[in-house]
Amino acid sequence: MKVLMLTWEYPPFIVGGLGVACHGLFKALAEKGIKIYMILPTQEKVFFEIFSSWEADYPTAKKWDKKHFEPVPLKFYEFHYLEPKGAYLSPQLVSIIKKWEPPKFKTKILYEIPTEVLERLNFLLSQENSLISKVRTYTENVIEISKNLDFNLIHAHDWLTYTAGLFLKKFYRIPLVTHIHATEFDRALGFGHPIIHEIEYLGLNFSDRVIAVSKYTSNIIKEHYKVSGEKIKVVYNAFLPPLEKPQKFKKFREPVILFLGRLTIQKGPGIFLEFAKKIINTYGKKVRFLIAGAGEMERHLMLEAASLGMGTQIMFTGFLTRQEVESALSMSDIVVMPSPSEPFGLVALEAMSFGCALIVSKQSGVSEIIENAYKVDFWDVEKMVNIVIDLLENPDKLKESQKKAQEEVQKFRWSDRAEEVIGIYRELVFNKACFI
Amino acid sequence: MLYIIFYFQVHQPFRISKYKIFDIKDLVVYFDEELNKYIFNKVSERCYLPANNLFKELIEASDGRFKISFSITGTFIEQAKKYRPDVYESFLDLVKTGGVELLNETYYHSLSSIFDLNEFLEQVKEHEELIKREFGFIPTVFRNTELIYFDKLSDILLSLPQIKTILIEGADKILKGESPLYPRISYNHAHLLLLKHYKLSDDIAFRFSDKAWDQYPLTAEKYVSWVKNLTLIEREGKNLYLNLFMDYETFGEHQWKESGIFEFIKRVIELLLKEKDIVFLLPSEVNYTLNYKPKTISVPEPTSWADIERDLSAWLSNSLQWNAMKTCYELLKKAKEKERKDLIPILKKLTTSDHFYYMCIKYFQDGDVHKYFSPYSSPEEVYRYYMNILSDIEEKLEE
Repeated sequence: MKVLMLTWEYPPFIVGGLGVACHGLFKALAEKGIKIYMILPTQEKVFFEIFSSWEADYPTAKKWDKKHFEPVPLKFYEFHYLEPKGAYLSPQLVSIIKKWEPPKFKTKILYEIPTEVLERLNFLLSQENSLISKVRTYTENVIEISKNLDFNLIHAHDWLTYTAGLFLKKFYRIPLVTHIHATEFDRALGFGHPIIHEIEYLGLNFSDRVIAVSKYTSNIIKEHYKVSGEKIKVVYNAFLPPLEKPQKFKKFREPVILFLGRLTIQKGPGIFLEFAKKIINTYGKKVRFLIAGAGEMERHLMLEAASLGMGTQIMFTGFLTRQEVESALSMSDIVVMPSPSEPFGLVALEAMSFGCALIVSKQSGVSEIIENAYKVDFWDVEKMVNIVIDLLENPDKLKESQKKAQEEVQKFRWSDRAEEVIGIYRELVFNKACFI
Repeated sequence: MLYIIFYFQVHQPFRISKYKIFDIKDLVVYFDEELNKYIFNKVSERCYLPANNLFKELIEASDGRFKISFSITGTFIEQAKKYRPDVYESFLDLVKTGGVELLNETYYHSLSSIFDLNEFLEQVKEHEELIKREFGFIPTVFRNTELIYFDKLSDILLSLPQIKTILIEGADKILKGESPLYPRISYNHAHLLLLKHYKLSDDIAFRFSDKAWDQYPLTAEKYVSWVKNLTLIEREGKNLYLNLFMDYETFGEHQWKESGIFEFIKRVIELLLKEKDIVFLLPSEVNYTLNYKPKTISVPEPTSWADIERDLSAWLSNSLQWNAMKTCYELLKKAKEKERKDLIPILKKLTTSDHFYYMCIKYFQDGDVHKYFSPYSSPEEVYRYYMNILSDIEEKLEE
């Protein structure tokens, strides 16, 4: 089976968990014989073939050059597009919509996309907005590149690629799976950008299957986007063990408590700081706090942390490379993930694999599947403080908690998740579940 | 009589390296050798060497009637000896002409006068020793980092009896409409204070090549006419003292050679030397030429020559700066208690005010100036490196 994967992130170009999850899933799918063509928002019109486990780790770009394909390493490409100038309706997309004629098949598509939806999507993408115009360019590129590819199914990851997925579904009359890793409600903690909401709504409702990364996310899209429960499947993320076994090392004498994630409101770094303050004020012994990651809240958080005048007790790392993320986990004893709304939360699995004791918010997808972690409401700073002080005061308990977490994480394997995804593919492609 | 006193600040900080949190316990390179060397070389070629040559020529050609003063920091001299011995020699030569006075300040160009008075006196003494050792000169005039001054500073300096005069900023908020051309006496009557004429100083230091300035281009003739006009304010025959204080880097670095700054300053001095009512003076000579008793002035809050606010806000207006500085002085104190001779000089280099200047996040016009001078991409970035370095030192102090 050949699948066209549409995604906005893939290692080494990672902003959040999306790229990491895609890597784990694609690798496991390739190992089970699924042939993947992946299209990323690269500046040049290229696609990536992932036919083997190795190619999932080191995808090479292939460029359409009339007669021959030329493999080029992914990293050589400028990742994001140049910013297009101004607002305009994509003439390319308009012509596709105009050319479309109703097919003369007897079978009907269950979630048929009316032409008006494509017109609406094209209108939404015509806005003068840096990110949305990049999505327009991506959609145009995907349509052009896909003409040279042969595939049985489209699998689109997050709203940025949904428009491209919907156009292709209409154009080729093949099944579309929309995978939801995070909703605009999570990112904005409430109502976000209206265009993004609308694209998420259309993408989830006019695809043939929806994969949600947790029940938590599944509930959000059922409630807010009115997606029919029958077509949603929950496939949790899993954990891709690093090549080398994680090694712990100590940088500081005192215990280290880590926050790891983008410094945005969705991840709750402000709650972590609140928690750190409480520990500093109530716990007599020295504890070191690391706030790792970059994001728009950085200055605000730094100023607030520094105003406590606690010297080097609360430290900021800035943006971390993949290798540095692993170092940060290696030097930490406890990881706190206080996200107010977290569709999944891959950081939690990584923390466990590095033998860190873990506190996660109940408002996270990952809390549905892990057992060896302390689950706390994101707003319950008091409880987080009590748990951490208890762990610090009882080193044996801390060690036990770290050991159990490290053991448990081994069972969240991508190969099991890939089986579930292949089940969905089979249903759509072989059982024609998307047709009436 | 109108006396003109030139004072130039000569300073280079030891800029810190991009020290990551993961370097703690593994890396002991705290200062960016390469960057410091690069900047020192660049400024040497653009400013130090050509400016030293120019002023030497002017002093020699005027038979000693043209005079200037310098405050040269310890960190500058360390770097000059290390990276550019020719620049170091060139300053020695210039001082040998006899037309140069050297001032006393903190060795590390620090804000220790605000944070730690013992450390302040220590750094001032270290600097005095350095000037004696390197130039054979005993300074009697003091200038604090960035002209920071407040009443208590005069009290503290009483413990250094050789200090007679202090240079300060002629800030509007302390002069309250009066002229900076008259020296003042400190509130405790202990020191003579010379006030920077910020308008005429900044016309050269900041505005000279500013094309948006309504006086652009500034010719030597125009500038000299402004100087001569100053004498009109005095009707009782009191001597006036025009204090032109600026960074030495004004010549060739802040104002590029191409702007004509060297030709301009040369012509200004030549024109002024022709005026019989105008005389160049060294700061220590003011005492002997005064023909009246100066008024006293009280400066309860710290003033400085930095930014529009002319206060401490360039280095101490946000919590990053405060936490960084506070932690540095705390560790320095601890290092002294533990007699850690390996760490004390490093911590002292970290007291240099420039580190905190880079952490400034005031916006508008001054934010631009801070950005121009900073080798780092953001205040947050330099704060992270700085705190990482302090963490490493903190760990070492526990050993």
